[in-house]
Amino acid sequence: MSALALRYDLKRDGHAPVSVAVPGGTTQRVRLPDTEARNHLVGAVLSTRCGLDEELELFGEPVRGLKRLQRGRLHERIGVLTQAMGLISNLNAWENISLEAAYHGTQPIARIAQTAREALQSLGAEPQAFLARLPDEMDPFERKLVAFLRLLAKEPALALIDGLGEGLNREQSARAARFEAEYRARQPEGTLVFVDLAEEEVP
Amino acid sequence: MIRALREVEGGLRLLMNVWLRVPALRRAPVRESFLRQIYFTGVTASTGVVLRASGLGALIIAFTMQVLDADTSLAVKILLWVVLREVGPLAAAMVVILRTGTAVSAELAMMRISGQTDTLRRMGIEPYDYLVVPRVMGVMVATAALTCYIQFLAVAGGMILSPFVIQASFTELYTRFFDLVAPVDFAYSLLKSLMFGFAIALTCCYHGLNPPALSLNGVPQAVTRAVTQSAIAVLVINALFAYLVFGVLFFGLVKAVV
Repeated sequence: MSALALRYDLKRDGHAPVSVAVPGGTTQRVRLPDTEARNHLVGAVLSTRCGLDEELELFGEPVRGLKRLQRGRLHERIGVLTQAMGLISNLNAWENISLEAAYHGTQPIARIAQTAREALQSLGAEPQAFLARLPDEMDPFERKLVAFLRLLAKEPALALIDGLGEGLNREQSARAARFEAEYRARQPEGTLVFVDLAEEEVP
Repeated sequence: MIRALREVEGGLRLLMNVWLRVPALRRAPVRESFLRQIYFTGVTASTGVVLRASGLGALIIAFTMQVLDADTSLAVKILLWVVLREVGPLAAAMVVILRTGTAVSAELAMMRISGQTDTLRRMGIEPYDYLVVPRVMGVMVATAALTCYIQFLAVAGGMILSPFVIQASFTELYTRFFDLVAPVDFAYSLLKSLMFGFAIALTCCYHGLNPPALSLNGVPQAVTRAVTQSAIAVLVINALFAYLVFGVLFFGLVKAVV
Protein backbone atom coordinates (compact mmCIF):
# COMPACT_ATOMS: atom_id res chain seq x y z
CA MET A 1 0.00 0.00 0.00
CA SER A 2 1.30 3.48 -0.92
CA ALA A 3 2.05 6.11 1.73
CA LEU A 4 -0.70 8.44 2.80
CA ALA A 5 -1.01 11.67 0.84
CA LEU A 6 -3.50 13.08 3.33
CA ARG A 7 -4.26 12.20 6.93
CA TYR A 8 -6.64 14.31 8.93
CA ASP A 9 -8.12 13.90 12.42
CA LEU A 10 -10.61 16.19 14.08
CA LYS A 11 -11.87 15.89 17.65
CA ARG A 12 -14.85 18.00 18.71
CA ASP A 13 -16.87 18.09 21.91
CA GLY A 14 -20.25 16.42 21.49
CA HIS A 15 -19.43 15.07 18.04
CA ALA A 16 -17.95 11.83 16.81
CA PRO A 17 -14.30 12.24 15.85
CA VAL A 18 -13.54 12.63 12.17
CA SER A 19 -10.70 10.69 10.67
CA VAL A 20 -9.64 10.81 7.03
CA ALA A 21 -6.79 8.88 5.43
CA VAL A 22 -6.12 9.01 1.71
CA PRO A 23 -3.37 6.88 0.16
CA GLY A 24 -1.18 8.57 -2.43
CA GLY A 25 -2.02 8.08 -6.12
CA THR A 26 -5.68 7.26 -5.51
CA THR A 27 -9.03 8.96 -6.03
CA GLN A 28 -11.12 9.09 -2.87
CA ARG A 29 -14.54 10.42 -2.04
CA VAL A 30 -14.59 11.69 1.52
CA ARG A 31 -18.03 12.16 3.06
CA LEU A 32 -18.02 14.22 6.22
CA PRO A 33 -20.84 14.30 8.80
CA ASP A 34 -21.48 18.05 8.78
CA THR A 35 -20.51 21.40 7.25
CA GLU A 36 -18.32 22.33 10.21
CA ALA A 37 -16.16 19.23 9.77
CA ARG A 38 -15.96 19.89 6.05
CA ASN A 39 -14.94 23.52 6.57
CA HIS A 40 -12.29 22.41 9.06
CA LEU A 41 -10.77 19.87 6.66
CA VAL A 42 -10.85 22.13 3.61
CA GLY A 43 -9.57 25.12 5.60
CA ALA A 44 -6.73 23.10 7.10
CA VAL A 45 -5.58 21.75 3.72
CA LEU A 46 -6.01 25.13 2.04
CA SER A 47 -3.93 26.96 4.61
CA THR A 48 -1.66 23.99 5.48
CA ARG A 49 -2.34 24.81 9.12
CA CYS A 50 -4.38 23.07 11.76
CA GLY A 51 -6.05 24.10 14.97
CA LEU A 52 -5.60 22.66 18.45
CA ASP A 53 -8.37 20.11 18.00
CA GLU A 54 -7.14 18.77 14.67
CA GLU A 55 -4.15 16.98 13.16
CA LEU A 56 -3.14 17.20 9.52
CA GLU A 57 -0.40 15.34 7.71
CA LEU A 58 0.34 15.97 4.05
CA PHE A 59 2.55 13.48 2.20
CA GLY A 60 3.45 12.01 5.58
CA GLU A 61 4.56 15.36 7.00
CA PRO A 62 2.69 16.91 9.96
CA VAL A 63 1.85 20.53 9.15
CA ARG A 64 1.92 21.64 12.78
CA GLY A 65 5.09 23.55 13.54
CA LEU A 66 6.19 23.88 9.93
CA LYS A 67 8.32 26.89 9.10
CA ARG A 68 7.08 29.37 6.55
CA LEU A 69 9.37 28.11 3.80
CA GLN A 70 8.44 24.47 4.42
CA ARG A 71 4.76 25.41 4.46
CA GLY A 72 5.23 27.25 1.16
CA ARG A 73 6.90 24.22 -0.44
CA LEU A 74 4.10 21.97 0.75
CA HIS A 75 1.52 24.43 -0.49
CA GLU A 76 2.99 24.28 -3.98
CA ARG A 77 2.12 20.57 -4.18
CA ILE A 78 -1.51 21.05 -3.24
CA GLY A 79 -4.46 22.31 -5.25
CA VAL A 80 -7.82 23.03 -3.65
CA LEU A 81 -11.08 23.82 -5.43
CA THR A 82 -13.36 25.30 -2.80
CA GLN A 83 -17.06 25.99 -3.12
CA ALA A 84 -16.38 29.72 -3.12
CA MET A 85 -13.96 29.06 -6.01
CA GLY A 86 -12.03 32.23 -5.19
CA LEU A 87 -11.91 33.81 -8.62
CA ILE A 88 -10.69 37.38 -9.01
CA SER A 89 -13.60 39.31 -10.49
CA ASN A 90 -11.62 41.85 -12.53
CA LEU A 91 -9.46 39.22 -14.23
CA ASN A 92 -10.68 37.18 -17.17
CA ALA A 93 -10.65 33.38 -17.16
CA TRP A 94 -7.15 33.09 -18.59
CA GLU A 95 -5.69 35.60 -16.13
CA ASN A 96 -7.38 33.78 -13.26
CA ILE A 97 -5.97 30.46 -14.43
CA SER A 98 -2.43 31.69 -14.98
CA LEU A 99 -2.13 34.28 -12.18
CA GLU A 100 -0.62 32.08 -9.48
CA ALA A 101 1.87 30.38 -11.79
CA ALA A 102 2.80 33.64 -13.50
CA TYR A 103 3.29 35.42 -10.18
CA HIS A 104 5.47 32.74 -8.65
CA GLY A 105 7.11 31.77 -11.95
CA THR A 106 6.59 28.11 -11.10
CA GLN A 107 5.28 26.78 -14.43
CA PRO A 108 5.93 28.02 -17.96
CA ILE A 109 2.94 30.04 -19.20
CA ALA A 110 2.99 28.22 -22.55
CA ARG A 111 2.45 24.91 -20.78
CA ILE A 112 -0.44 26.33 -18.75
CA ALA A 113 -2.01 27.71 -21.93
CA GLN A 114 -1.71 24.32 -23.60
CA THR A 115 -3.18 22.48 -20.59
CA ALA A 116 -6.08 24.96 -20.42
CA ARG A 117 -6.81 24.70 -24.15
CA GLU A 118 -6.73 20.90 -24.15
CA ALA A 119 -8.87 20.60 -21.03
CA LEU A 120 -11.43 23.10 -22.33
CA GLN A 121 -11.68 21.31 -25.67
CA SER A 122 -12.16 17.98 -24.00
CA LEU A 123 -14.80 19.48 -21.69
CA GLY A 124 -16.69 20.96 -24.62
CA ALA A 125 -15.83 24.66 -24.34
CA GLU A 126 -14.36 26.89 -27.06
CA PRO A 127 -11.02 28.01 -25.52
CA GLN A 128 -10.55 31.42 -27.16
CA ALA A 129 -13.99 32.80 -26.28
CA PHE A 130 -14.08 31.11 -22.88
CA LEU A 131 -10.70 32.36 -21.69
CA ALA A 132 -11.55 35.97 -22.50
CA ARG A 133 -14.64 36.07 -20.29
CA LEU A 134 -14.88 37.56 -16.81
CA PRO A 135 -16.18 35.44 -13.90
CA ASP A 136 -19.33 37.60 -13.64
CA GLU A 137 -20.24 36.65 -17.21
CA MET A 138 -20.13 32.95 -16.42
CA ASP A 139 -22.59 30.42 -15.03
CA PRO A 140 -21.69 28.40 -11.89
CA PHE A 141 -20.30 25.49 -13.91
CA GLU A 142 -18.08 27.76 -15.98
CA ARG A 143 -16.74 29.44 -12.85
CA LYS A 144 -16.04 26.03 -11.37
CA LEU A 145 -14.30 25.09 -14.61
CA VAL A 146 -12.01 28.13 -14.35
CA ALA A 147 -11.17 27.25 -10.74
CA PHE A 148 -10.49 23.66 -11.82
CA LEU A 149 -8.22 24.78 -14.66
CA ARG A 150 -6.35 26.97 -12.20
CA LEU A 151 -5.92 23.89 -10.03
CA LEU A 152 -4.69 21.86 -13.04
CA ALA A 153 -2.23 24.62 -13.94
CA LYS A 154 -0.54 24.07 -10.59
CA GLU A 155 0.00 20.39 -11.44
CA PRO A 156 -0.69 19.44 -7.83
CA ALA A 157 0.33 16.10 -6.38
CA LEU A 158 -2.74 16.36 -4.14
CA ALA A 159 -5.96 17.90 -5.44
CA LEU A 160 -8.90 18.44 -3.11
CA ILE A 161 -12.26 19.31 -4.62
CA ASP A 162 -14.91 20.50 -2.21
CA GLY A 163 -18.59 20.04 -3.11
CA LEU A 164 -18.08 19.48 -6.82
CA GLY A 165 -21.76 19.20 -7.70
CA GLU A 166 -23.04 21.89 -5.36
CA GLY A 167 -24.79 24.79 -7.04
CA LEU A 168 -24.87 22.94 -10.37
CA ASN A 169 -27.83 21.48 -12.23
CA ARG A 170 -27.94 17.87 -13.39
CA GLU A 171 -26.39 18.53 -16.78
CA GLN A 172 -23.65 20.72 -15.33
CA SER A 173 -22.94 18.11 -12.64
CA ALA A 174 -22.49 15.48 -15.34
CA ARG A 175 -19.97 17.73 -17.10
CA ALA A 176 -18.20 18.47 -13.82
CA ALA A 177 -17.85 14.72 -13.17
CA ARG A 178 -15.37 14.67 -16.07
CA PHE A 179 -12.93 16.72 -14.00
CA GLU A 180 -11.67 13.50 -12.44
CA ALA A 181 -10.63 12.06 -15.80
CA GLU A 182 -9.01 15.37 -16.75
CA TYR A 183 -6.98 15.45 -13.55
CA ARG A 184 -6.01 11.80 -13.86
CA ALA A 185 -4.93 12.24 -17.50
CA ARG A 186 -2.46 14.94 -16.42
CA GLN A 187 -1.45 13.64 -13.01
CA PRO A 188 -1.47 9.83 -13.23
CA GLU A 189 0.46 9.61 -9.96
CA GLY A 190 -1.52 12.33 -8.21
CA THR A 191 -4.06 12.01 -5.42
CA LEU A 192 -7.58 13.32 -5.94
CA VAL A 193 -9.96 13.87 -3.04
CA PHE A 194 -13.62 14.81 -3.42
CA VAL A 195 -15.12 16.19 -0.22
CA ASP A 196 -18.86 16.12 0.35
CA LEU A 197 -21.39 15.89 3.11
CA ALA A 198 -22.50 12.39 4.08
CA GLU A 199 -26.12 12.78 3.01
CA GLU A 200 -25.26 14.18 -0.40
CA GLU A 201 -24.72 12.25 -3.58
CA VAL A 202 -21.44 12.81 -5.31
CA PRO A 203 -22.08 13.34 -9.04
CA MET B 1 -10.16 61.67 16.32
CA ILE B 2 -9.04 58.10 17.02
CA ARG B 3 -10.23 57.06 13.57
CA ALA B 4 -8.27 59.91 12.01
CA LEU B 5 -5.12 58.89 13.89
CA ARG B 6 -5.64 55.27 12.87
CA GLU B 7 -6.02 56.33 9.25
CA VAL B 8 -2.84 58.40 9.40
CA GLU B 9 -0.97 55.49 10.96
CA GLY B 10 -2.42 53.06 8.39
CA GLY B 11 -1.52 55.42 5.57
CA LEU B 12 2.06 55.73 6.79
CA ARG B 13 2.39 51.97 7.08
CA LEU B 14 1.00 51.56 3.58
CA LEU B 15 3.45 54.20 2.33
CA MET B 16 6.40 52.29 3.79
CA ASN B 17 5.03 49.02 2.42
CA VAL B 18 4.71 50.42 -1.08
CA TRP B 19 8.29 51.71 -1.22
CA LEU B 20 9.70 48.48 0.17
CA ARG B 21 7.68 46.43 -2.29
CA VAL B 22 8.46 48.31 -5.50
CA PRO B 23 10.72 45.41 -6.69
CA ALA B 24 7.50 43.36 -7.01
CA LEU B 25 7.07 45.15 -10.35
CA ARG B 26 9.53 42.63 -11.76
CA ARG B 27 6.84 39.95 -11.56
CA ALA B 28 4.87 39.61 -14.80
CA PRO B 29 1.30 39.93 -13.41
CA VAL B 30 2.27 42.95 -11.27
CA ARG B 31 3.92 44.63 -14.25
CA GLU B 32 0.84 43.91 -16.35
CA SER B 33 -1.38 45.45 -13.70
CA PHE B 34 0.94 48.49 -13.58
CA LEU B 35 0.70 49.00 -17.35
CA ARG B 36 -3.06 48.50 -17.22
CA GLN B 37 -3.28 51.17 -14.53
CA ILE B 38 -1.28 53.61 -16.65
CA TYR B 39 -3.57 52.89 -19.60
CA PHE B 40 -6.72 53.36 -17.54
CA THR B 41 -5.58 56.45 -15.66
CA GLY B 42 -3.57 58.16 -18.37
CA VAL B 43 -4.61 57.04 -21.82
CA THR B 44 -8.36 56.66 -21.42
CA ALA B 45 -8.62 59.89 -19.42
CA SER B 46 -6.67 61.87 -22.01
CA THR B 47 -9.42 61.87 -24.64
CA GLY B 48 -11.90 63.56 -22.32
CA VAL B 49 -9.67 66.49 -21.40
CA VAL B 50 -8.75 67.81 -24.87
CA LEU B 51 -11.52 70.39 -25.22
CA ARG B 52 -11.62 71.39 -21.58
CA ALA B 53 -7.87 71.83 -21.28
CA SER B 54 -7.46 73.75 -24.52
CA GLY B 55 -10.39 76.00 -23.60
CA LEU B 56 -8.85 76.62 -20.17
CA GLY B 57 -5.80 78.43 -21.52
CA ALA B 58 -7.87 80.64 -23.83
CA LEU B 59 -10.31 81.40 -21.03
CA ILE B 60 -7.55 82.45 -18.64
CA ILE B 61 -5.89 84.69 -21.22
CA ALA B 62 -9.17 86.29 -22.33
CA PHE B 63 -10.37 86.71 -18.75
CA THR B 64 -7.08 88.27 -17.58
CA MET B 65 -6.95 90.72 -20.43
CA GLN B 66 -10.60 91.66 -20.05
CA VAL B 67 -10.82 91.98 -16.28
CA LEU B 68 -7.33 93.15 -15.40
CA ASP B 69 -6.97 95.17 -18.55
CA ALA B 70 -3.63 93.41 -18.95
CA ASP B 71 -1.31 93.46 -21.88
CA THR B 72 -0.12 90.37 -23.77
CA SER B 73 2.96 90.06 -21.62
CA LEU B 74 1.02 89.83 -18.37
CA ALA B 75 -1.48 87.43 -19.92
CA VAL B 76 1.31 85.11 -20.94
CA LYS B 77 2.89 85.34 -17.48
CA ILE B 78 -0.41 84.33 -15.98
CA LEU B 79 -0.63 81.48 -18.46
CA LEU B 80 2.74 80.31 -17.23
CA TRP B 81 2.25 80.85 -13.49
CA VAL B 82 -1.35 79.80 -13.25
CA VAL B 83 -1.82 77.17 -15.96
CA LEU B 84 1.59 75.59 -16.16
CA ARG B 85 2.57 75.63 -12.50
CA GLU B 86 -0.72 75.40 -10.65
CA VAL B 87 -3.86 74.65 -12.64
CA GLY B 88 -2.29 71.98 -14.87
CA PRO B 89 -1.22 69.66 -12.04
CA LEU B 90 -4.40 70.40 -10.06
CA ALA B 91 -6.68 69.76 -13.05
CA ALA B 92 -4.90 66.47 -13.75
CA ALA B 93 -5.17 65.50 -10.08
CA MET B 94 -8.91 66.20 -10.07
CA VAL B 95 -9.40 64.11 -13.22
CA VAL B 96 -7.42 61.29 -11.60
CA ILE B 97 -9.39 61.50 -8.34
CA LEU B 98 -12.75 61.49 -10.12
CA ARG B 99 -11.94 58.73 -12.60
CA THR B 100 -9.27 56.55 -11.05
CA GLY B 101 -9.63 57.28 -7.35
CA THR B 102 -13.28 56.24 -7.35
CA ALA B 103 -12.58 53.17 -9.47
CA VAL B 104 -9.58 52.00 -7.42
CA SER B 105 -11.26 52.44 -4.04
CA ALA B 106 -14.49 50.76 -5.17
CA GLU B 107 -12.64 47.90 -6.86
CA LEU B 108 -10.41 47.20 -3.87
CA ALA B 109 -13.29 47.53 -1.40
CA MET B 110 -15.30 45.00 -3.45
CA MET B 111 -12.32 42.66 -3.54
CA ARG B 112 -11.84 42.96 0.21
CA ILE B 113 -15.53 42.46 0.98
CA SER B 114 -15.93 39.48 -1.33
CA GLY B 115 -12.85 37.77 0.12
CA GLN B 116 -10.73 38.09 -3.03
CA THR B 117 -7.83 39.57 -1.07
CA ASP B 118 -7.89 36.43 1.09
CA THR B 119 -7.91 34.32 -2.08
CA LEU B 120 -4.77 36.12 -3.23
CA ARG B 121 -3.08 35.43 0.11
CA ARG B 122 -4.02 31.76 -0.14
CA MET B 123 -2.34 31.66 -3.54
CA GLY B 124 0.77 33.06 -1.90
CA ILE B 125 0.23 36.43 -3.57
CA GLU B 126 0.68 39.36 -1.23
CA PRO B 127 -2.17 41.86 -1.87
CA TYR B 128 0.19 44.80 -1.30
CA ASP B 129 2.42 43.50 -4.10
CA TYR B 130 -0.31 42.65 -6.53
CA LEU B 131 -2.96 45.29 -5.76
CA VAL B 132 -1.29 48.31 -4.19
CA VAL B 133 2.18 48.61 -5.77
CA PRO B 134 1.06 48.58 -9.44
CA ARG B 135 -1.82 50.96 -8.72
CA VAL B 136 0.28 53.46 -6.80
CA MET B 137 3.16 53.41 -9.29
CA GLY B 138 0.80 53.39 -12.28
CA VAL B 139 -1.26 56.30 -10.99
CA MET B 140 1.93 58.28 -10.23
CA VAL B 141 3.28 57.85 -13.74
CA ALA B 142 -0.11 58.44 -15.37
CA THR B 143 -0.80 61.58 -13.30
CA ALA B 144 2.55 63.05 -14.35
CA ALA B 145 1.87 62.19 -17.99
CA LEU B 146 -1.67 63.56 -17.81
CA THR B 147 -0.36 66.76 -16.22
CA CYS B 148 2.11 67.27 -19.09
CA TYR B 149 -0.68 66.61 -21.57
CA ILE B 150 -3.09 69.04 -19.91
CA GLN B 151 -0.36 71.68 -19.64
CA PHE B 152 0.48 71.29 -23.31
CA LEU B 153 -3.18 71.48 -24.35
CA ALA B 154 -3.93 74.43 -22.09
CA VAL B 155 -0.91 76.45 -23.18
CA ALA B 156 -1.27 75.53 -26.87
CA GLY B 157 -5.04 76.07 -26.71
CA GLY B 158 -4.53 79.41 -25.01
CA MET B 159 -2.12 80.54 -27.71
CA ILE B 160 -4.18 79.25 -30.63
CA LEU B 161 -7.63 80.33 -29.43
CA SER B 162 -6.74 83.64 -27.77
CA PRO B 163 -6.15 85.61 -30.98
CA PHE B 164 -9.88 85.10 -31.71
CA VAL B 165 -10.95 86.87 -28.52
CA ILE B 166 -8.15 89.34 -27.72
CA GLN B 167 -5.89 91.68 -29.62
CA ALA B 168 -2.78 89.49 -29.68
CA SER B 169 -1.22 87.34 -32.35
CA PHE B 170 -0.20 83.72 -31.90
CA THR B 171 3.43 84.57 -32.69
CA GLU B 172 3.47 87.30 -30.06
CA LEU B 173 2.06 84.97 -27.38
CA TYR B 174 4.35 82.14 -28.44
CA THR B 175 7.52 84.25 -28.39
CA ARG B 176 6.70 85.84 -25.05
CA PHE B 177 5.85 82.49 -23.47
CA PHE B 178 9.11 80.83 -24.48
CA ASP B 179 11.05 83.84 -23.25
CA LEU B 180 9.62 83.32 -19.81
CA VAL B 181 9.39 79.57 -19.37
CA ALA B 182 12.31 77.72 -17.77
CA PRO B 183 13.05 74.00 -17.36
CA VAL B 184 12.55 74.36 -13.60
CA ASP B 185 8.86 75.15 -14.27
CA PHE B 186 8.43 71.70 -15.81
CA ALA B 187 10.45 70.02 -13.08
CA TYR B 188 8.32 71.76 -10.45
CA SER B 189 5.02 70.64 -11.95
CA LEU B 190 6.34 67.16 -12.74
CA LEU B 191 7.49 66.58 -9.17
CA LYS B 192 4.23 67.96 -7.84
CA SER B 193 2.12 65.79 -10.13
CA LEU B 194 4.08 62.69 -9.11
CA MET B 195 3.34 63.53 -5.47
CA PHE B 196 -0.32 64.14 -6.26
CA GLY B 197 -0.55 60.77 -8.00
CA PHE B 198 1.18 59.05 -5.11
CA ALA B 199 -1.09 60.63 -2.50
CA ILE B 200 -4.27 59.91 -4.48
CA ALA B 201 -3.40 56.29 -5.16
CA LEU B 202 -2.21 55.65 -1.62
CA THR B 203 -5.35 57.18 -0.08
CA CYS B 204 -7.66 55.29 -2.41
CA CYS B 205 -5.84 51.98 -1.90
CA TYR B 206 -5.90 52.46 1.86
CA HIS B 207 -9.65 53.13 1.97
CA GLY B 208 -10.35 50.42 -0.60
CA LEU B 209 -8.52 47.80 1.45
CA ASN B 210 -9.97 49.07 4.74
CA PRO B 211 -13.66 49.71 4.08
CA PRO B 212 -15.62 50.85 7.16
CA ALA B 213 -17.89 47.80 6.91
CA LEU B 214 -17.31 44.37 5.39
CA SER B 215 -20.65 44.48 3.57
CA LEU B 216 -21.79 46.11 0.34
CA ASN B 217 -22.60 49.26 2.33
CA GLY B 218 -18.89 49.62 2.92
CA VAL B 219 -18.15 50.26 -0.77
CA PRO B 220 -19.77 53.70 -1.19
CA GLN B 221 -18.46 54.73 2.23
CA ALA B 222 -14.94 53.73 1.25
CA VAL B 223 -15.24 55.61 -2.06
CA THR B 224 -16.55 58.76 -0.35
CA ARG B 225 -13.72 58.75 2.17
CA ALA B 226 -11.14 58.02 -0.50
CA VAL B 227 -12.29 60.83 -2.77
CA THR B 228 -12.67 63.39 0.02
CA GLN B 229 -9.32 62.64 1.60
CA SER B 230 -7.55 62.46 -1.78
CA ALA B 231 -8.82 65.93 -2.63
CA ILE B 232 -7.70 67.24 0.77
CA ALA B 233 -4.30 65.57 0.38
CA VAL B 234 -3.84 67.15 -3.04
CA LEU B 235 -4.70 70.62 -1.74
CA VAL B 236 -2.41 70.23 1.28
CA ILE B 237 0.48 69.04 -0.93
CA ASN B 238 -0.15 71.93 -3.30
CA ALA B 239 -0.09 74.47 -0.48
CA LEU B 240 2.95 72.87 1.12
CA PHE B 241 4.75 72.73 -2.19
CA ALA B 242 3.98 76.37 -2.96
CA TYR B 243 5.22 77.36 0.50
CA LEU B 244 8.43 75.33 0.24
CA VAL B 245 9.29 76.32 -3.29
CA PHE B 246 8.17 79.94 -3.33
CA GLY B 247 8.58 80.45 0.40
CA VAL B 248 11.49 80.62 2.79
CA LEU B 249 13.11 77.28 2.21
CA PHE B 250 13.93 77.41 -1.49
CA PHE B 251 13.11 80.99 -2.16
CA GLY B 252 14.36 81.95 -5.55
CA LEU B 253 14.47 78.46 -7.02
CA VAL B 254 11.29 79.09 -8.93
CA LYS B 255 10.66 82.78 -9.18
CA ALA B 256 8.28 84.93 -11.09
CA VAL B 257 10.00 86.84 -13.83
CA VAL B 258 8.28 90.22 -14.03
